[in-house]
Parts: sequence; structure tokens; C-alpha cells
Amino acid sequence: MTKLLQSIVDGLGVGSTYALLALGISVIFGVMHLVNFAHGELITIGAYASYFFFLHGGSWWWMPLIIIGSAVLGSVVMELVAFRWVRHASPFTLLLTSFALERLSHALWQIFVSPKQRAFPKPSWVFNQFKIADISFEVMDVVTIAVTGVTLALTAVMFKRTLFGISVRGAAEDFDAARLMGVRANRVISGAFAYAGFLAGIAACLIVMRSPAAEPSMGADWLLKAVIAAVIGGLGSFTGAVVGGLVLGLLETLTRVYLPDIAEGWDKFSTAVVFILIAAFFVIRPEGVFKVTHAERV
Amino acid sequence: MLEVDRITTRYGAITALHDASLSVSAGELVAVVGPNGAGKTTLLNTVAGLLRPATGRIRFEGNDVTGAEPARLVRSGLALVPEHRRLFKDLTVDENLRLAGCTVKSPERRRRLEEASELFPVLRAKWTTSAGYLSGGEAQQLAIARALMSNPRLLLLDEPTLGLAPTMVDVVFELLARLREQGRTMLVVEQNATRALRLADRGYLLRSGRVVTTGTGADLAADTGLFDSFIGTEAAPQR
Amino acid sequence: MSANNGLVRITRSMLASAVLIAIVAALATAYTRTGGASRQSLIAEMLSNFILVLGMQVFIGNTGVLSFGHMAFAHIAAYATAIVGIPLAAKAKALPDIPFGLADVEFGPLGVTLFAVVITMIAGALFGVAVCRASGLAPTMITLAALFVVEQLVKNWKELTRGAGGLSGITRLQGNTWLWAGAFIALVIAHLFQETRIGRFAIATREDELAAPALGIRLFTARYAAWVLSIGLIALGGSLRAQSLGSVNPKQFTLDSGILILVMLVVGGMRTVSGAVLGTVLITAGNELFRQLGDPQRLDIERFPDLFLGGAMLLAMLLRSNGLLGNRDLAGWLRRRMYRPPPAVDQPAGTAADGAAIQPSTNTLVAREIEVHFGGFVALDGAGLSVRPGEVVGLIGPNGAGKTTLFNVITGLVHEQGGTVALGERDLTDSTPVDIARAGLARTFQNLRLFKSLTVRENVALASMVAGRHRRQRECPDPDVLLADAGLTDWADREASTLDYGNQRRLELARAAALAPEFLLLDEPTSGMSDVETMAMVESVRAVAARVGAGVLVIDHDLAFITRISDHIVVLSEGRVLAEGTPADVRANPLVAEAYLGSSV
Repeated sequence: MTKLLQSIVDGLGVGSTYALLALGISVIFGVMHLVNFAHGELITIGAYASYFFFLHGGSWWWMPLIIIGSAVLGSVVMELVAFRWVRHASPFTLLLTSFALERLSHALWQIFVSPKQRAFPKPSWVFNQFKIADISFEVMDVVTIAVTGVTLALTAVMFKRTLFGISVRGAAEDFDAARLMGVRANRVISGAFAYAGFLAGIAACLIVMRSPAAEPSMGADWLLKAVIAAVIGGLGSFTGAVVGGLVLGLLETLTRVYLPDIAEGWDKFSTAVVFILIAAFFVIRPEGVFKVTHAERV
Repeated sequence: MLEVDRITTRYGAITALHDASLSVSAGELVAVVGPNGAGKTTLLNTVAGLLRPATGRIRFEGNDVTGAEPARLVRSGLALVPEHRRLFKDLTVDENLRLAGCTVKSPERRRRLEEASELFPVLRAKWTTSAGYLSGGEAQQLAIARALMSNPRLLLLDEPTLGLAPTMVDVVFELLARLREQGRTMLVVEQNATRALRLADRGYLLRSGRVVTTGTGADLAADTGLFDSFIGTEAAPQR
Repeated sequence: MSANNGLVRITRSMLASAVLIAIVAALATAYTRTGGASRQSLIAEMLSNFILVLGMQVFIGNTGVLSFGHMAFAHIAAYATAIVGIPLAAKAKALPDIPFGLADVEFGPLGVTLFAVVITMIAGALFGVAVCRASGLAPTMITLAALFVVEQLVKNWKELTRGAGGLSGITRLQGNTWLWAGAFIALVIAHLFQETRIGRFAIATREDELAAPALGIRLFTARYAAWVLSIGLIALGGSLRAQSLGSVNPKQFTLDSGILILVMLVVGGMRTVSGAVLGTVLITAGNELFRQLGDPQRLDIERFPDLFLGGAMLLAMLLRSNGLLGNRDLAGWLRRRMYRPPPAVDQPAGTAADGAAIQPSTNTLVAREIEVHFGGFVALDGAGLSVRPGEVVGLIGPNGAGKTTLFNVITGLVHEQGGTVALGERDLTDSTPVDIARAGLARTFQNLRLFKSLTVRENVALASMVAGRHRRQRECPDPDVLLADAGLTDWADREASTLDYGNQRRLELARAAALAPEFLLLDEPTSGMSDVETMAMVESVRAVAARVGAGVLVIDHDLAFITRISDHIVVLSEGRVLAEGTPADVRANPLVAEAYLGSSV
């Protein structure tokens, strides 16, 4: 029982980060029909920003602001520089464009900073532990879940109450109808990218606090999982992205923990098993858990 | 108020509109009728900025608005109620209206929401319902209310009675009449040709992307050859 | 196409491949002559990339489905190669606990390659079922998953793979001869695939996912064939690379290396073999150039090639998303040059002296009591119609009457909640579009679904190919004759997208007719046409339908057109049949006028 609860907490911790990233991906997909493979680079940007900030004597109190700010900036620039020009291209082209951007960004970090990892000290409280009824929690786990929870709640409010949020939802459903209502195309798309950047920034904060280091490829691993989570949940569905992220996190953790019990000596194959399950899911339900329909554009 | 001057609009290889011209003066209700595929929706979409004409000019209140972004046109006082309504089905009635109110600031927006709920009591009852769950008649009213949120001086309506039951068709026509009384200028594309022409000040008959006939609403409505014009005079039966 | 039999195709593939490889060999020779051994190994690297790129071209280029995971199969092939390519003594040391009795297995280069290819193709065949059944973004995601699965397996199944450390000591190939041979074979196979029926079907599915099934092409089968073949080539490339390098490790086959191959494929143009070749050469050259520029002695920029790769791909997408060559390719050019049209193409249809007009069949197309509702909305409420052999039936009605819905029910795109559809004795009620097309109903689409990057002749020939296989019970018309009937002979070699609108519509008509159907179902064929073009369309439809002996069911809003062309007209209104009869009857019927203009209440 304890093991189960522990695994669930761990799984939710990882899953929360996936959820934040997957949500960003779904938001961008909603307004542009683009799966942004370069989204993970925002984490790399955030990490490097905090590294440099730290190098110049910054403290952890200001870090979140730096990280989130740079992620938002990075996301908006990405749209301005690359995606705006391929807005009406085929999904194939869009996908490859985002890939190209990811490669470029990757290369730029390697060339202009360093291919090696740059580490810096973590805040002192991160790995403090405490126990509740036999389950040991790390402070970081709690912080992750709490921060994610608050962020998602605020996001929900934003989407329901603010004009910006309503515009994004409307544009995601029927972009041309939104234009006819007076919504400015460029603004809503830039706004979507900015918000996705904000979410990625928060995810980056959580990642960096746990293991403060910046290296060129760190975004890529998170990104792949996030994309898979978003697709599992149903691309374009915001609820789906969150669900997908949490499910993926739980699936990974539970598989890793319980697989040895089911099959001898299989624990090292846990990641493989997870991906096989994912592949199987996609065959059965390619559109994801929450199906989303979009209106055709003129 | 609106001058459409010989516009030609293309979709890829198709020329949907050929040198089409029309005009709408302030306070008028102008009807555009014609068989399907005639280019009526293309016409409204071009005027509203969703499509860019290959040639020709569109002038609104004296300004050249050819190829302008829809959002800009809305802010200039021109709004479209699209064909099939195109409501945001995942958004509530309230949210649909608020989105359409994005062109004005919050206090003014609130005031217009109030007005909408008064003008359309049916919507007030369903304020927090998702637009996807509205009946045909309710949906059409929401679509019109949405367009009115920007307080347009020119209202374009594309087939507002499409798919509606006869009683709802009556409601919509009454609404149009009322809006006309309020002094709103309107350009209406309608399936119900006879009825629309009777209500209108002037009308245009479109066929195969061209304006075939124009005249006062009453004249056109009474024209016994109207159906022939719909079909095309070459359509004498061959067998 | 009648003038192209198997031997001609093989010759053409070999010829095109020979020319391409000669060009590459010339470039390679020029390059290595002026340098040392390191240049030879660059050529070796290029050649194995070549084969990998061609493998990806066979699948991605022909089906249009993006796959990231092909490298996973190169990975499998490389390890399979290592496992049977390392001399026994060394193997015993590196993999003491190797399972499956592989400890005593060692092959020479040919055996190793064959073993690797077979093993990989088995794995690929299994995996491909999942990839090709899915739709939308799912196949891409599944292939991504494959990449991870294989990586994890390799890293963790230490008894078989020695884990992250990799395996070395594979018996190395001497020189690049094997690689050149492999490259040539890959070229021939890639070229040949685009000439085969199933290859062309795959291309059709790439061009239009809805039109292909409507012509009787099954998406899964075509894609699966492309997938399996592509895995074979990937395996060849992976195996030869491993034998060339002499070692394998997981880092050789990451997503990164896959991106390199992808860039090579996309920059040159993924749709053609020539494009893939061009891309490989250019990117190899550029990559090497940047590697040298980034050398510590020069600009001293680490990983400079990555910048080049990302930049090249980005530029390609922004400027020329179809690649440098787009749809152009040596093999296609050869195909057009070598094409011999059959004699006597200018006989008009239906004339007494002409034996080429096919007689109509005896089956009547009947739709009865069709009911369709979408949620609460009733689209069809007991509508029905019938079309007799050789008859032309027009289906009209105001907007929202249900014409398109009825049409889509008959052609299998929409499911009816009640009623039946039958062609003669055969019940088509729950059939898929593919089966309905194969049964003899060929349709066109309201928004025109041509195979845009194929030529006019190729569009029609595709339908002929389907007819040749699935419509043998009917006499199949010759594509060139149909093109003549539709007035398209002069445009036969032009890309379909370059035709003017009227001709594009006629092409879609000719293509549907090439399926040797019993009935042609035309969805608003004159939509967007001028009055003059519309009348010309009447003649085209009549000529083509007479040529293939097909009855016609046509929806259109142009009542002049319908009146001219129909023997019988059915008027729908609000989901039901309002009236039917001859054009004169319908025209005079006041109910019909009222349905269109609205009642005078």
C-alpha cells in the first residue's frame, strides 16, 4: 500500500511536469495545427538563462522570474521568426519546420555556449524529506504538485474568464469565425505561444530546481514525452493534455516499480514496455482520449 | 455605404465570382438571391475580408477596404453572420457573445451583453449553456446577437434561415424587419428568395458568379420569370 | 498502362539507377582522387546514408506519412549484423551468454547481410501493422515509440547486445565495393517500386486520402507494402554500415542520426528517387564542408554541421517545402519519353463503326428508404432513387435538402440508420468506399480531388490499374481513349495541378470512368463553371459515360445543366423526395419552384 501511494506521488510529480508541457503543446496546436517539436527548447533556454543569472550572482528567489521570462520570450520569438511564415503550409511541412528549429536551437547552444553540462547549486530545501504515515515525501515533490495544481487552476480560470482565454478557445475551434468576430489573428497566435512559453517556463523552473544544470539536449527528452502525452490526451484538447501528462507520468512510474513483480528481471525493460503500451493505444484510438474537431479554414 | 465594384474572386482554379458589383445605401435592406453555387457566400466572405478578390475594389463608407483583415472590418463597423452560423460550440452563449465583444472595452462590453440579453430573451434563458446544445432557432439568434456585439453599421447575413423550422423562419424574418426599423443597414443572402425580396428595398440575383438581375425588392418578387432566371433561360428541356 | 510491361519497367529502373549512380560515382571519384583515406570513409558513410535515405523515400516519399522511427530498424539490422558478423572467438568474449544458440553462428558478408535484412523485415512487418492501420498523427507517434523501444531493448538486453558499450570486431568489408553494390540495388528497388501497381497506389494515397479509396485503393495495403519494402532497404543500409565501420553502439542510431537522413530526404525532394539522391549528395557535401570549417584549425566551432543541418531544413521548409526537385525526376522523364500510346485513339464513342464503346451492364442502382440523422438533425427521411443501366439521373433540391448526404450514403462515406443500397443483386448498404468502388460505382468530388502532382495520364492510369485488378468482369477502357473523349490528349503529360479548371473537372471525370464502373456518380461537376463551360461539360459527360457504358447519377445546382443532361430528375427537399420525372415534368411542377424560391406566404 505504501509502495503504491509512494509510486502515485512520484508519478504525479513527473506527470505534472509532462502535463504543463503537454498543455503548451495542445494550446499551440489548437491555434495553428502545429505540433511544436521545438517547444522543449524553451526548457533549455530557461535552464541556460538561470545558469547565466546564477553566474552573475543571482539568487534563487529571482530565478523563477528569469526562467519564465526567458521561456515566454523564446516562445514568442520562435513564432515570429519561423512559424508565422509557414502558417498555411501542410501539417508535414509544419512538423518539419518545428524540427528544424529544434535542431538549430540545439546547435546554437552547443556552439555558442558549450556542449557540456553546466551545473550550478540547487536550493537547499529541495531534497529535504518529511514523512506522513510511513510515506516519505520530498519537499520538491510537494512543491511540484502544488505549483502545477495552482498553475492549472489559474489556467482554467484564465481560459474561462478572461477575454484572451476565450479568444484562444474560440480560435482553436474555428479560426476564421474568430477573425470574423474581430479577433486579431496575429495577436491570438502570439498570445498562445506566449502562454505556452509561460507554462514551459514553470515546468523549466521545476526541472531546474530538481537538478540545476543546463545542457543542450535537455529539452529534447522532456519534449518527446510531452508530445506523446498531448497526443494521448487528444491533440488540441486542453483537458486531454493534462490528463495525458498525468497518465504518462503515472504509467512510467508504476511500470518501473511494479514490472519486476510481474515479470522477473524485466525492470530494465520498463521504458520499452511503456512505449509499447503507448503504441498499442495509438492503434486502438489514434485520435486520443478526448477527440477534438476543428473547422476547416478558408 | 457599401460599394462592391466588379470583384472577381477565385478559389484555386475556380472563379467563383466574375465582375460582380452591387451597392448598399445607408438604412437599406438589400437581398441577394440565386441558386446554390452562384457565389452568394463567396460574395459575402469577400466583403467580410475572409477572401481576397483577384480584381475589383470594395469600398465601405468611402474607404477602400479591399483585402482588409476581417478583424479590421469589424472594428470599422461591418459584421458578418456566417453561413451555418459557425458558433463556437464549446463555448457558452455568454462566452460566444463576449468573444464577439472583443472590439470594445469591458464596461461597454458589459452594456452590450445586457442589451443582447434583452433583445433575445431566448438566449437569456440559456446564458450558460454551451452553444453546441442550442436548437436551430436559438443558434441563429445567437449568431445574429454575436454579430451585433460590435454594433455594426452594416450587417451581412448569409442564409439566416438555413435549416430552420417554419416558425423559426418567421421569427428570423421578424427580427430582420425589426433591425431594419432600428435603422440597421443590412445585406442578406437568402434561400427564401420570394420572402426576402418582399422584405427588401432592393435585390440582386446571382447566377454562376455573375449578377444577372437587379431591381427593387417588390419588382423582383413579383417577377414571374424569377424561377427561369434561377434556372437559366437556356434550360429549355431537350428531351 | 498498356505499353508498359514488366520488362520495360525493370529496364527503365535500371537505366535511371545506372545514370544516377554513375553521376554520384563520378563525383566520388573526383573527390577521393584529391585526398586520402579519410575521404574514402566519407564516401562509405555517404553510401550507407544513401541506402538509408532511399529506404525512407520508399515509405515517406510515396505515402506521405512522416516516420521518425526508421532508424530503429537500422539499429536492429546493425546489431543483427554484429551478432553474426563477429568472429566466433571474439564473440565468445564479448557476449558470453548470448541466447538462441547464436554463439556458434558466423557468416560471411552476404550471409550476414541477408540475415540482418530478414530479421529486421520480420520485426518491421509486425510493427508496420500498427503504423499503417493508424491515421492522422498517430503513425508518426508510433514510429517515434519504436525508436525508444529499440533503444531500450538494445541498452538493456545485455546478453544479446552488450548494452551501451556496443560491439566491435565485426569482420570489415574491404573497400567500398559492397556499398556501391548495395546503393545500386537500393536505387533499382526504389525506382521499381514507383513503377509497380502497389507503388502507384501508395502514391495515390499520398496525393489524396479520400480520392484513393473512392477509386478502390485500400489505404492500409498500399502503405503496408511501402513500409515493408522500406524496412528492407533500411536494413540493408544499416547492415552495410555496420560492416563498413566494424562496430555498433546505441549512439549511432539516435533520433539525431535519423534527422540527418530526414534532412537529406526532404531537401532534395522526397517524392522522387532523383530528389533523394540529390539531397544525399548535397547534404553530405555541406555536412563535410561545415565539419572542416568547424575544425579547430579553422573557425573552431564545435558541432558546426548541426547548424548547417537545422538551417538547411528550415530554409527548405520556408522556401521550397517540396524539396529542390519537387515532382521532377529522371525516371519520370524516361517514362514519358518511352511511352508509346496505342493506335487508333481518335474514334468517337458510340459510333456505329467503333467497336470501342462498352455496353452497359444489366444492374440497376437502387437506394431505398434511406434514413440518416446527425444527432438530433434529420438529414434524410426515407429518401430513395434508382438509376437504370445507361440512364442519366439528376438529383436536385435546395440547399440542405440532403442531396450530398444521399450521395455519400450511396458511396459509403456516411452511415445510414435505415434503408438499403443495392447494385443489381449485390447489397452495398454497409460497404466501405473501397468496396463500393470495386463493385462498380465510381465517384467524383464536389471540391475536386485530383492527384495533383501526378500527370493527367497518370491520374487516369491509376484508375485503370485498379480496374485491371478488381474490375475484370467488365471490359476496361483504355486510358488514352478516355483522355481523347474528355478532350485532354494534349495535356496528357502535364501535371494535373497546372490544368485550367474546366479541364481539371474533365480529368476527374475521365479518371472515374477509367475504373470501368457500372455507374458514374458525379458530385456537382459544374460547380464554379461558367455557362459556356457547363454546356461543354454536358458533352463530355455524355461521351465518357457512353464510352464505358455507365449510367450516371449527378448532383448539381445548375438546373440548366441538369435539365440538358438528365433522362430522369429526382427532386429532394427536407430529406424526402419531393418530386421526380422527366425534366419537363419537374420544370413545370409548382412544388419544385416553391422549394427553390420559398413559398409566397
